[in-house]
Amino acid sequence: MESDEEEDFVFYGTPIEREEDLTSRKKKSVAEASGQLRTVVPWQQEVRDEEGRRRFHGAFTGGFSAGYYNSVGSKEGWTPQTFTSSRKKRADTKEQSILNFLDDDEKAEMDGRSLATSSLFDTFGFTAAEVARKQVEKEQQKRPSIIPGPVPDEIVLPAANSIGVKLLLKMGWRHGRSIKDSRTNLLYDARREARKAFLALSSDDAKPPDTQFESNKIDCEDLSEQADMDIKSAFRSTPVYVLNPKHDMHGLGYDPFKHAPEFRERKRLRISGNQELGSRGAFSTKGDLFASKSGKMAPGFGIGALEELDAEDEDVYASGYDFEETYVQDIEEPSTINKDIKLIKSKGEQGVLPGFKVASSSDLQLDRFNPPVIPHDFKPQHKFPAAFEPGKKLAGPPPPEVVPPEDRNLKLLIDGFAALVTRCGKLFEDLSREKNKTNPLFSFLSGGNGHDYYARRLWEEKQKHSDQTKQSSEKRLVPNVQKMTAESRGSILGEKPLEKSYKNSNSSVSSADAVQLQFHLSDTFTKPASLSDTPEVIKPFKADPAKQERFEQFLKEKYQGGLRSTDSGGNSKMSESARARERLDFEAAAEAFAKGTDSASTALYPSQQYKEITVSSNLQFTPGGLEETNVSKTVEQTMSKMYPKREEYQWRPAPILCKRFDIADPYMGKLPPPPRARGRIDSLIFASDFVKATKTADNGIDPLLVSQSETQVTGVEEPNSETEIDASDTNVERPVDLYKAIFSDDSDDEGEGSTFKQMQDPEKNSEVVNTTLNRLIAGDFLESLGKELGLEVPPETPIMKDKVNIVSQEALTTNVSKPGNNISAVGPLKVKEVVHGSSSIPEFTPKGASNGLELDHSKRKNEATDIGHFDRKYDKADVQKVNTEVKNSKRKSKRYRSRSSSFSSEDEGSTRHSRRDKRRSSSPSSEEERNRSSRHHQSKDSFSDTDSSDDQRSRGSSRLKAEKKDSSRGKSGRRKHSKHHKSQNKGSPSRSSRRGSDRYGSEDRKSSRKSGDRKRDSVSYKDSRRKYY
Amino acid sequence: MTSEVVIPKQEANVLRGHEGAVLAARFNSDGNYALSCGKDRTIRLWNPHRGIHIKTYKAHGREVRDVHVTSDNSKLCSCGGDRQVYYWDVSTGRVIRKFRGHDSEVNAVKFNDYSAVVVSAGYDRSVRAWDCRSHSTEPIQIIDTFTDSVMSVCLTKNEILAGSVDGTVRTFDIRLGREISDDFGHPVNCISLSNDGNCVLASCLDSTLRLLDRTTGELLQEYKGHTCKSFKMDCCLTNDDAHVTGGSEDGFIFFWDLVDASVVSSFRAHSSVVTSVSYHPKDNCMITSSVDSTIRVWKA
Repeated sequence: MESDEEEDFVFYGTPIEREEDLTSRKKKSVAEASGQLRTVVPWQQEVRDEEGRRRFHGAFTGGFSAGYYNSVGSKEGWTPQTFTSSRKKRADTKEQSILNFLDDDEKAEMDGRSLATSSLFDTFGFTAAEVARKQVEKEQQKRPSIIPGPVPDEIVLPAANSIGVKLLLKMGWRHGRSIKDSRTNLLYDARREARKAFLALSSDDAKPPDTQFESNKIDCEDLSEQADMDIKSAFRSTPVYVLNPKHDMHGLGYDPFKHAPEFRERKRLRISGNQELGSRGAFSTKGDLFASKSGKMAPGFGIGALEELDAEDEDVYASGYDFEETYVQDIEEPSTINKDIKLIKSKGEQGVLPGFKVASSSDLQLDRFNPPVIPHDFKPQHKFPAAFEPGKKLAGPPPPEVVPPEDRNLKLLIDGFAALVTRCGKLFEDLSREKNKTNPLFSFLSGGNGHDYYARRLWEEKQKHSDQTKQSSEKRLVPNVQKMTAESRGSILGEKPLEKSYKNSNSSVSSADAVQLQFHLSDTFTKPASLSDTPEVIKPFKADPAKQERFEQFLKEKYQGGLRSTDSGGNSKMSESARARERLDFEAAAEAFAKGTDSASTALYPSQQYKEITVSSNLQFTPGGLEETNVSKTVEQTMSKMYPKREEYQWRPAPILCKRFDIADPYMGKLPPPPRARGRIDSLIFASDFVKATKTADNGIDPLLVSQSETQVTGVEEPNSETEIDASDTNVERPVDLYKAIFSDDSDDEGEGSTFKQMQDPEKNSEVVNTTLNRLIAGDFLESLGKELGLEVPPETPIMKDKVNIVSQEALTTNVSKPGNNISAVGPLKVKEVVHGSSSIPEFTPKGASNGLELDHSKRKNEATDIGHFDRKYDKADVQKVNTEVKNSKRKSKRYRSRSSSFSSEDEGSTRHSRRDKRRSSSPSSEEERNRSSRHHQSKDSFSDTDSSDDQRSRGSSRLKAEKKDSSRGKSGRRKHSKHHKSQNKGSPSRSSRRGSDRYGSEDRKSSRKSGDRKRDSVSYKDSRRKYY
Repeated sequence: MTSEVVIPKQEANVLRGHEGAVLAARFNSDGNYALSCGKDRTIRLWNPHRGIHIKTYKAHGREVRDVHVTSDNSKLCSCGGDRQVYYWDVSTGRVIRKFRGHDSEVNAVKFNDYSAVVVSAGYDRSVRAWDCRSHSTEPIQIIDTFTDSVMSVCLTKNEILAGSVDGTVRTFDIRLGREISDDFGHPVNCISLSNDGNCVLASCLDSTLRLLDRTTGELLQEYKGHTCKSFKMDCCLTNDDAHVTGGSEDGFIFFWDLVDASVVSSFRAHSSVVTSVSYHPKDNCMITSSVDSTIRVWKA
């Protein structure tokens, strides 16, 4: 066959089928279909279509042949499922639905796909109806009904209505109705019915189908209309509006018309009127937009503003226009009333009640009573009626000059009385003459002894007084209406606190007592204004109120020319010389003032003068915040001489710092850091104790250090004279290498401890260590051990006592017993005082509003500038302290002496001696020092558990609580110290000698610091510091 | 002489950005950039010549009182009211280290020549040196010989100079291991070294600038006319050491002749206290900062 032949070939591509091929295949397929082909086992059969092409379903999934040659399931074809022979069985009536032809999964899919409202939101009951229908169907299937076929929908009603529907139903809504105003609907329906009826009637005869159509059309129209209406009504029913929009500015819930409802109505009308007037225009334009047939609308009355009125409705509300008119009229009225109200209100009246009118003319007239007119020349000052008449009396010829009476008291009396009479008038003279008729003292009034003098005095006084009053009256024309306090008024009126005057009178001359009293009493009444001016201008003693008061008193006396109470009250405590000096001061100041009043430079001149005075008066009182003119200049000069001053100390940079600065450590190798090369016992006992000791020292040090260095800053050269020297003395004989080898730790510690700025404790420790070392060197091991045990007792107390003793004695001698020596001690201090006085003059008042980094040091600054003060005070405190310490130390030293009676005194003597000698040579002093220390140690050894040491320990324990930081700081400081000492030993004799001169001054200070009672010291330091803050 | 020398009087730029007072403004070592710090707790980097704000460094919790930059411009140090010294990386703006230890506010801070040590001066009366090379945040040196707040610090190759309210300017010579204290008798507000390093200019709170010969401790000159009584205010010498310049509390800037102490020029630069002045290392250019929150660049 052709096909066989073909099979021998290999074909590429898709062969173009030829006609014959097709036909042959057809034949083949036909043959196959007819089963003419050789039979093959079913799984080898190939399915081919009628064309003979191989049909292969799912070629990519394995392939299968569906159905019977792609037709139905069997050779016989398809038989409907529902078919049953009616011969044996009556066929059940079966309704076919799509469900019958679907597989289960397909059914599930169908169910899932069907869209339905869930029963909860089933407003219109479709879902419920469906459910009900299904239910019915199910039931029907269960029990065959008589009526075949599906149940008509009308019969089946949904079981449930949504809650909304239920509610609506309750409210009268029915299915198929729009939700709108029932009234309009009713009307509408009625009208429609009527129209229908009319139409039906009219078109009864003519063209029934047409009319039918018409009616249909109308119905359609109606429907559409109704739909429109529905929409509209729906639109209408929904507008959201605030029931009572707030128009006023009252608080929420506040009802201004609570008790007057009639006003509420008025108000409402007014507001709504305004609003309607405004809104009408807007709505009319809207109406145009909607192209409404009705041009007019009736606002309110149940019809929405946006509603477009139908033609039918118009006639119902035909009166809308009229209504509007009336309404407009209606609102016209309140507006006018409003205007009226406004008018009335503008008049300043309150609102007028409705029904009331404002009276056009009121009878009420406010009566105003003007204050009485004060006469132009009225003076608010009480005068005695019989005041002097300046012009008249003076017109008379002056009485002749009379020699004052011999009796001084009488003279005083006459003077005072004359002044009094001048001031108080003739009446006073008469009165007193009456009163004192019998008094021989007042005989001068009635022509007795001294009458002539009295007459003369009187005349003088009057002349003087008239001058003053003239001046004052001239001045008084210038309105000096200031704020009147009781004091200022008093000063203007010349009143004086009575108390003071009494005081004065007490201290005044006894014989003039009576007059004085009267004088002061009269003072309270009238007083020339000239005095009231003076205290305003002259206040040179502002700083010292008491003094200022005295000065004022002085001025008063001076200018008044009255009785001059030579020693007026208050200064009775002052010594005679002080009073005299003060008086001089006052005189000078007053003179300066008198000069200054003429010149324009009133402010500067007297103060300058005063400055000079104060300078001359040896800084007796503290200079206040006055101008720094002369004094400050002089001070500046001294300052410029003194400052800047340079001091040089040893300072040990940290090795790491040197490294970082790329500099060789200048102290490299000199004092290496502590390797712990010590015996066990040492490290145990010694170290622990030492730590304690250093700690106590440190804690004690901090404030002290500050205080000392502070004084050092200002002090000329006082610092480190003694401590340095002491330390150097102690350190001199020390073989450094050995120490390093054995006790490098200690030496380091001790080195740290003996900075000149640091305190005495570490030094003392060092001394102690020193002595221990001496012992060790001596080989007296037992003794040293005992000593070490005794080290628990910080051994500085005896030394300290010694020093205190020495110093106190020195202080005593220098300050008290040796006035000659005083010069050296006082000299620098004095200079300092001057300096500090000046330095405190420029007041660095911290600015309140400081935006910048205003020095928060303003406090400190003050302190710094005031260091001088501090110094001074400190000195005083020191003196006190020294005194107390003298006592203390005496007490202590007594104790001490009782134990080691011999050498403590020796010590004192020797040290004092050495000091006095100003260290002419270093070796003897060092020897002494050594001796002293060794002696101390012996003493210490013998009383290893003295109570003083107990004291010390307890104090130390309290200090142990302080921070460690302090201790570290102290250490570093101390390290510096030791360095310093060494070099000091080598090369600072000049320095020590330089300092020798003022050593005394500094020593008492030192001594105080050196005192055992460090606590108190620190407290005092704090106190003094506080003063400066 | 004064006529020849040009004084930077022309305002070239105003650098705005700080909120509140600017407490310090500093040129960097080559004068191309400027750093400022202020009450607003920020440090700002500027290009003063173009008037551009470059970067803001924020980490301080309180006002920043002083700032200094290394000579290679890679690191910053700053200090302020939060008692810490901050060590910054300039480019990233991150804090590399915070040095804690001052017991109260830190007033001034400086790098040493090798940028290995930061030296700070504080209200706690101490000067502290901090190591930037190690990771330790402990001070490597504490100098507490001052008796009052230390306001200003200057460094040379081998010295630390610090001025304090106690009236002293103390020079700590590391090479010699000595401390030289020069007492001015007035609180020292700010110190500044002359460019030749031989003199130190100290601004005292008695409204006087004092020039001190460092070798002898001699007072060379006093400069007066300005007001400096309660604020920390800077002073400096011009780049050629011909003039002394400083701000005043009334917003003026003063120029004095170095030798005869006459006021060469004074003009109102700011509306409020001039807190800081910094002179360009080479050019006639100066920046001033003020409480009025501006930094102004002045050129001749």
